[in-house]
Amino acid sequence: MTERPSIIVPVRVLEGESIPEGVPELLANAHVVLLGYHVVPDQTATGQAQMQFEERAIKRLDEYESIFEDAGASVERRLVFTHDGQKTIDRMITEYDALAVLVPNATRPPEDVLVAVRGAVGVDRLARVVVGLFADTDVSVTLYHVADEDETDEDVQTLLDGVVDRMRDLGLDRPGVETRIERDSGPLEAIVGAADEYDAVVMGETDPSLTTFVFGMPADQVAEQFLGPVLVVQREPSTADESE
Amino acid sequence: MVDRPVEAVSTGENVAGEAPAEEPDAVTDEATVHDEDVELERTIGLTGGLAIGIGTMIGAGIFVFPGLAAENAGLAATLSFAIGGVIALLVALPTSELATSMPRSGGGYFFISRGMGTGFGAVVGLGLWLGLVFAAAFYLVGLGHYATAVLAEVGLSLSVNPVIAIGVVFGAGLTALSIGGTENTAKLQNGVVGILLVVLTGFLSYGVLDAAGVFGGGAVPETFFSQGYVPVLTTAALVFTSYLGFAQVATVAGEIKQPGRNLPLAMVGSVVVVTVFYVVTIFVATSAFGADQLGRFGETAMVEVAREFLGLPGAIAILCAGLLATFSSANASILSASRAVYALSRDALLPRRASEVNLRYGTPHVALLAAGGPILVLVATGEVELLAEVASFLHLVMYGLICVALIVVRRRDPDWYDPDFRTPAYPLVPAVGALASFGLIAFMQPASIVIGVAVMLVSYLWYRYYAGDVVLEGDI
Repeated sequence: MTERPSIIVPVRVLEGESIPEGVPELLANAHVVLLGYHVVPDQTATGQAQMQFEERAIKRLDEYESIFEDAGASVERRLVFTHDGQKTIDRMITEYDALAVLVPNATRPPEDVLVAVRGAVGVDRLARVVVGLFADTDVSVTLYHVADEDETDEDVQTLLDGVVDRMRDLGLDRPGVETRIERDSGPLEAIVGAADEYDAVVMGETDPSLTTFVFGMPADQVAEQFLGPVLVVQREPSTADESE
Repeated sequence: MVDRPVEAVSTGENVAGEAPAEEPDAVTDEATVHDEDVELERTIGLTGGLAIGIGTMIGAGIFVFPGLAAENAGLAATLSFAIGGVIALLVALPTSELATSMPRSGGGYFFISRGMGTGFGAVVGLGLWLGLVFAAAFYLVGLGHYATAVLAEVGLSLSVNPVIAIGVVFGAGLTALSIGGTENTAKLQNGVVGILLVVLTGFLSYGVLDAAGVFGGGAVPETFFSQGYVPVLTTAALVFTSYLGFAQVATVAGEIKQPGRNLPLAMVGSVVVVTVFYVVTIFVATSAFGADQLGRFGETAMVEVAREFLGLPGAIAILCAGLLATFSSANASILSASRAVYALSRDALLPRRASEVNLRYGTPHVALLAAGGPILVLVATGEVELLAEVASFLHLVMYGLICVALIVVRRRDPDWYDPDFRTPAYPLVPAVGALASFGLIAFMQPASIVIGVAVMLVSYLWYRYYAGDVVLEGDI
């Protein structure tokens, strides 16, 4: 069996978010870090919310934990009361050295996934997630790349072949990993459009820039429009100290 | 990341049969960890900590007190503010040490209840809540004065003096906003403090250069101790309200990231920053007009100073800054008072209901009303100086006891005591800090002392009645 990739599954546990259908099957081979969190307004001390809601939140997490375990995943869980959900998710990514974060949306039991390959950077982590989750399943994998104007088909094929090779090295030893190349379209719309035919999307995180600041992370936008689960593969943790 | 285990159990029950909430298992740089992997995230960085400290303090010292202080002490009011700053610093150092050893919410109340026993803790905790209520009322009356000055500036003259009405309206508005608002108030506070510091730096730089004669004005020569020596100390006692903010950083100590580093920097840093601003402000203000005339301008004297230097635009800038500053101070005090209520209720010294969070907004409506309600009553009195002094009194008692608590804890040296920050020149700093805090009380008006003592007495009786059996962690 291949190595279980650690995947963070953030759940706003007290706001009616639950584990959507299909997600436990999707992550059956993962090491799931079940992160129940509750965002508290600044006026409220986090401990105040804890005193009142801890019991209920733990009960829900117990349920979710057994759902994942029944599907076959190994599960660790945390419950965090926070003023800043993103900071909590980021801290968990670092603490567990997690490969990906799941944006949970419902799906049917997964049969095919779309893997968006952006470039050579981060390919290794992308491959580890895909192989870890799907090598021992019948899920078919499609590598997808949206080409720039100055990229030739050969360039892209080399890139995608590299990913296929890397996945084979890691243990995804089967024929029929498909590759698709898209042109003449913005990467975002292209991914959302293509995703329709698939049950889940695996894609990389984008570096923060002005556009991501204004419009949000592309992965989040995809998740919003695609309405299925998106696995956001995290960047290599930077060696620089994360202190502010 | 340093994981520090928390060992100790609080026991006992209050009259309603509620026990203190369970203590957490450990404290880390980024979270407070309870059992079953339940954590409280730390989300306030150094900037946020400084903004809380400076934001709470800067409203009073610069925008409300210059006129009153100059009237009482003359040019020597500068010295009064410096004395206040030194005392605040002497207390900020021991507070930092205790806060880094117990980075939990509740501030001074938490250290004293754990270091000196539940009785002292109850008196200080209830005093902290009410002290903040008095302080917030004082800021709101200040806000009322500024809003009235704005009305006067636009040429609107009213038959009745609207100061108190405006203060009450803003007090009620702020409380409602805290209960129903879900917008990011912390970011807003950071922005407000940033704007204030920029406006003030510009204004004061101009003022200092002018006083030095660069723009041909030159300072008004004046006797330094024009009112004698004693008023310097009574004025210091009055204006000490301007230095209450640094302890508010400690009330959110449980939410500060890397507390070992950020708590001392935020507390000591905010005291140093505001002391410099205050001293320069008083110097500039008195050199522009002379103490007597400044005193006649009252609460909004700074507006006249700005008008003198920069004409109408200057006056408008300071009016806006004054509104922002008193508003942010009042807001910060209401929020801190609500945290104090939570800390008390967590330890079963107030009913558990008091820290209840409502499901609609996720805010502690009972605690916020427990702050906002009494504030409105106090604002209605309109007694600026009395409100300020009672607030100072209740805080000074807490400050003195924090210094004592440091000495007590250091002498007992329990196993759990391992602060990241150590007070320099121990035991001199906490000893002088305690003496100075208690000493300053002696220079207050009798009325303030009577009210302050009454509040403490009622607090103690409440504790004996309601929670006499509660024993808090770290008790002797």
